[in-house]
Amino acid sequence: MLHFRSILSIFLAAAVSAAGQSSADEIDFNRDIRPILSESCFFCHGQDGNKRQADLRLDVRQIAVDAGAIVPGDTSASELVERINSDDPDVLMPPPDSHRRVTPEQKQLLERWIQEGAKYSGHWAFEAPQRPAVPNVNRVEWARNPIDRFVLSKLEREGLEPSPEADRATLIKRLSIDLIGLPPTLDEVDAFVADPAHDAYEKLVDRLLGNPHYGERLALPWLDAARYADSNGFQQDGDTWQWLWRDWVVRALNEDLPFDQFTIWQLAGDLLPDATTDQKIASGFNRNHLLNGEGGAIAEEQRFVVLFDRIDTTATTWLGLTIACAQCHDHKYDPTTQRDYYRLMDMFNRVPEVGTPQFFSTRIRVDKPYLELSTEANNQTIVELESKIAAAMPAATSADDAAYAGWRLGFDPAVKTDKDLGFPEALTAIHNKSAGDRSEEEKNAFEAGLRKHFDEKIRPELVAKLPALASLEALKKQLSDYTNDQVPRVMVMSDDQPRETFILRRGEYLSPLEKVSFATPAFLPSLAAGAPANRLGFAQWLVAPENPLTARVQVNRIWQYFFGTGLVKTAEDFGVQSEYPVHRELLDWLAVEFREHQWSMKHVHRLIVTSAAYRQSSRITAEHLARDGDNRLLARFSRSRMPAMILRDWALAAAGLLDARIGGAPVYPYQPDAVWESLAITKERDFTYPASSGSDLYRRSLYTFWRRTVGPANMFDAANRQTCRVRLSNTSTPLHALTTLNDPTWVEAARVLAQKSLQQANDLDGRLTFAFRQVICRAPTETGLNMLRRTYEKQFAIYNADAESTIKLLSVGASQRDETLDCAQHAAMTSVCMAILNLDEALTRE
Amino acid sequence: MDPYLESMQNQTRRAFLQGTGLSLGAIALSTLAGSASVSGSDVTIRSATPLEQRSPHFAPRAKRVIYLHLTGSPPNLDIYDYKPELVKRSGQDCPDEFLKGRTFAFTTGVPKLLGTPRTFAQYGQSGTWLSDAVPNLHGIADELCFVHSMYTEQFNHAPAELLVYTGSPRPGRPSMGSWLTYGLGTENQNLPGFVVLISSGVQPNGGASSYSSGFLPSVFQGVQCRSKGDPVLFISDPAGMDRKLRRRSLDALKQLNVLQSQELGHPETLTRIAQYELAFRMQTSVPEVMDISQETEQALAAYGAKPGESSFANNCLLARRLVEQGVRFVQLFDWGWDFHGTAPGEGLQEGLTNKWAATDKPIAALIKDLKQRGLLEDTLIICGGEFGRTPFREGRTAASAVLGRDHYPDCFTMWMAGGGIRAGCNYGQTDELGFGVVENKVHVHDLQATIMHLLGFNHEQLTYRFQGRDYRLTDVHGRVIEELLG
Repeated sequence: MLHFRSILSIFLAAAVSAAGQSSADEIDFNRDIRPILSESCFFCHGQDGNKRQADLRLDVRQIAVDAGAIVPGDTSASELVERINSDDPDVLMPPPDSHRRVTPEQKQLLERWIQEGAKYSGHWAFEAPQRPAVPNVNRVEWARNPIDRFVLSKLEREGLEPSPEADRATLIKRLSIDLIGLPPTLDEVDAFVADPAHDAYEKLVDRLLGNPHYGERLALPWLDAARYADSNGFQQDGDTWQWLWRDWVVRALNEDLPFDQFTIWQLAGDLLPDATTDQKIASGFNRNHLLNGEGGAIAEEQRFVVLFDRIDTTATTWLGLTIACAQCHDHKYDPTTQRDYYRLMDMFNRVPEVGTPQFFSTRIRVDKPYLELSTEANNQTIVELESKIAAAMPAATSADDAAYAGWRLGFDPAVKTDKDLGFPEALTAIHNKSAGDRSEEEKNAFEAGLRKHFDEKIRPELVAKLPALASLEALKKQLSDYTNDQVPRVMVMSDDQPRETFILRRGEYLSPLEKVSFATPAFLPSLAAGAPANRLGFAQWLVAPENPLTARVQVNRIWQYFFGTGLVKTAEDFGVQSEYPVHRELLDWLAVEFREHQWSMKHVHRLIVTSAAYRQSSRITAEHLARDGDNRLLARFSRSRMPAMILRDWALAAAGLLDARIGGAPVYPYQPDAVWESLAITKERDFTYPASSGSDLYRRSLYTFWRRTVGPANMFDAANRQTCRVRLSNTSTPLHALTTLNDPTWVEAARVLAQKSLQQANDLDGRLTFAFRQVICRAPTETGLNMLRRTYEKQFAIYNADAESTIKLLSVGASQRDETLDCAQHAAMTSVCMAILNLDEALTRE
Repeated sequence: MDPYLESMQNQTRRAFLQGTGLSLGAIALSTLAGSASVSGSDVTIRSATPLEQRSPHFAPRAKRVIYLHLTGSPPNLDIYDYKPELVKRSGQDCPDEFLKGRTFAFTTGVPKLLGTPRTFAQYGQSGTWLSDAVPNLHGIADELCFVHSMYTEQFNHAPAELLVYTGSPRPGRPSMGSWLTYGLGTENQNLPGFVVLISSGVQPNGGASSYSSGFLPSVFQGVQCRSKGDPVLFISDPAGMDRKLRRRSLDALKQLNVLQSQELGHPETLTRIAQYELAFRMQTSVPEVMDISQETEQALAAYGAKPGESSFANNCLLARRLVEQGVRFVQLFDWGWDFHGTAPGEGLQEGLTNKWAATDKPIAALIKDLKQRGLLEDTLIICGGEFGRTPFREGRTAASAVLGRDHYPDCFTMWMAGGGIRAGCNYGQTDELGFGVVENKVHVHDLQATIMHLLGFNHEQLTYRFQGRDYRLTDVHGRVIEELLG
């Protein structure tokens, strides 16, 4: 594409000013200088002592000044300036072979910064947020809440106009996608569109925030961060009961459990005084990791893999820091040291876990510690089995005793013998003595030993021959098989096995160096005085007002959820390599608002969705494209393709197929053959896909069993649920189109939606409009309706002449077809509905 | 990729579409014009055409890869790495020096050394030692480049395999095929750029993580082409909808989408139209390329392939058909190479003979076929497992008549053929008993660096910024082994 480079350079110039820095502005170290130093210099002149060259640090002002690299106010004396401008490859910095490069604009900035005194400041995200003043704006009337004042102030500075509010049908669809992930009914759309109340929108928001499907929708990004799945991963990939934790998340979100509690429960619920079952289950957050049960897996090695995963996941989820590097060495850019890393690890190194999954049944493998939470149904079955066992006991006991007596007749225990009867050593020693030489104690021990020997060695061989014993044993096995396979055992945290923690050389678990104990990273605030030095203290520290990261990281992810991109684009990284926020003040304002509003997540959600910024139309103008193609300034709303999990829910609900039950064991909806069946080591467990039937086929995607080694086939672009993910990719490939066109889920949804539309209206236009609105919410335009009608008529002509294809199409999926409908009409409408479900507008949150 | 650049590209693309009046032609044009390139660590990914061809850092020696993974890890000492001294000492206690402080997957105590029960001889101008387990490789020994000094740190299947494919023993990072399609795009937009073929019915140990795109955009994910059911998931039209009907229904969809783009003015809607058109074409091109019945009798016979079957032979033939059609990376996984000796099929005698009988013939046919078609010179073929196997008998099966070996990370053999490698080379050496590398160690990361080099990449520069760090296939390691280059 020849135009590409030249167009790029035009926009490069435009975007530099859009990003904030214009020459008249004062230089801000964090915004303007640190990114350059971090990208080009810190690798060798940063805080990692192992990689440091020439003993020079540029991340600490005093050292840089003492070394003469920087002479504040004097560029010509500063070696840094000489080095970055040198023509001599031996002098030039960064060195040519580092493949790092300082651009001319960056050189100018560095020089100006040194000229103006080389002021350093700490990394912004490591200093606690203060609530900034809400800025003054010209168009005060546009702003609905403080968020808008921040957004508008920037737009006004850039000379951009916010977009008009989206129409109501678009708004209710947008809100429904974001707050519950399910389409509104046509009545709900009509009522909202017609509602004259001044707070019609706010009433809708409150209704959706109170809808129990809210928790299901908002749980999705949290499950991605928590790498939640229903199995362990790796070769055996045993199933777990972690869905009990998943259900807790949904409940907690629905109840708006304040985020500080949400945090404390998940990191340390088990350590709370008189911890409730829910609090313990919540601590399962840190047990959602993978477990490797391969034959050669060394438990201790695997335990460390789990520990590392716990630190990485916790740090990314709450602190927005990537600290995995510090497992082997001090972080190259952030001030996280290897010591910090292992001091954090100490709080996780107390769990009485093995490191590898333990066998419960061919299906179920979990590791200690876990909570056994039998259900009513479990208890009932167990009681039934136990009473059967009790009933079988008398017959079995007498058969048992008779057998024992019979066996004893085979030899005279009172008589000394040298014959080897296969007794254990202790028993033989007594038996070798004549009866008179045996002490009272020995006599008792002998009797007990005989019975024990009989029970252990002789009896098992007799069981099959004695029906009374056999039926008892069968019942006992039935009971133990049942409890092992069917009683929920959700993995949770516990500190019952404290261990010593060491810094590990290069992260190798067999190479301990110095012993360390728990502490928070040295560059962040320390634990409060008197706080427990464990997970609980850590969790409380995370949500303390002086913590600079937790609130910012969360509100940024909430922002990302609603607007597509975070205020800090690198939602997973708030370290020095992160993007400087587009709206730094808005981020801080929201963070403080969140914290001061009792950490209410619903409060922040409500604030955001009721803002004028959120209510804007997503229509793009030429000016938007030219000035802010990525919509970081929010002069319009950002449209985005719905996540695959929500697309499926939407299609099912639009068709009226959805089973909206909340919570419970995972289900197994349609999946192509041989997806699970081809998993490794089939001899160790059965990987046959236990396909669901009935309404379980139509549960929300949240409840589809998530096998860690191969996720659900139709949930494209989803997080892999193997490592913590807080920012998702949203890509577009032909394979996605094939899924929503051909997966029986969508074909059946189209068929059932078609059926419903035929039942709803008697005229074609009414039917087409109904189907269209069920999916898109708004009514089709006249041109659109004409197109739909023409499509329908063409398809009808084809299906009307092809009875075989008609029946085939109408047979996709398990749900019953209304056989009173005309087949050709039904098939033609099905085909139209498939097109509707695949419209760009159907796939997109507008 | 640099987020800044990414945003620039989006803007540029949008501006481009805007400038050309939002025409569909613009999209078609941008699909055809393949002038994008990779400079330094910046990879230009246009969201409308993420798989368009890109030029690597420097002129590549190979343009595409066929990777033959023998899942479970074949016993190098019974195939490629001849150890007469071990044969002499077979049955003796394993010396303590090799056991001290070590843990093995299934062996404890003092195992017995195990000389190979196979017969070795030298083949080709190169005088390469090969055993009788691989008769069909004897004739092509001079085409192959053996590395006898491979080593890893992992001795469990899944982590070892993940290390080979993603550079890390833990799931979550992009696989080699994903990195290369990220860097290079692909030559044929109507087929996936990175195809995975699985034989012997079982997924690799690492599951789909072994061909996952990790944190790279999911468009670079390996796409499994299956021999049973849909060749690609959901590629078949639903029952009761033939191609003609689908075409009509897509036409309607297209019209409605065009109408929407006019009404709402979103350039992405045009990307959506292109996505559905591509899907339609893929529905034809994938089944076509997967249909080996179009091959001649001779070709089928040479590979030992049979249409309708699911076999390694079929997959080798498919690999050729796929690279011929411009697929960038074809990854084969063949299950059943874990020679513990726990069953006759896992034994070093008959078991190994039978396993190779279904394997070395199609491999030899593939190499000859590619050569004959002029494709071998720029197609890189790689073959091997995820680790080595012990020079002693596996603990659990020590008393069995079936001979087996345990997992072993310290040394193993892999070979390459084709694009840019030194044919007929035997690189690296293990000690006389096969316990360790004594010459020219090659870590898994070094092999990866070498593969990247052959494809035209500086492995340290093909990076992706994720969680504040620039990640690459070779983690923070790896060096190119110059001696392996032709």
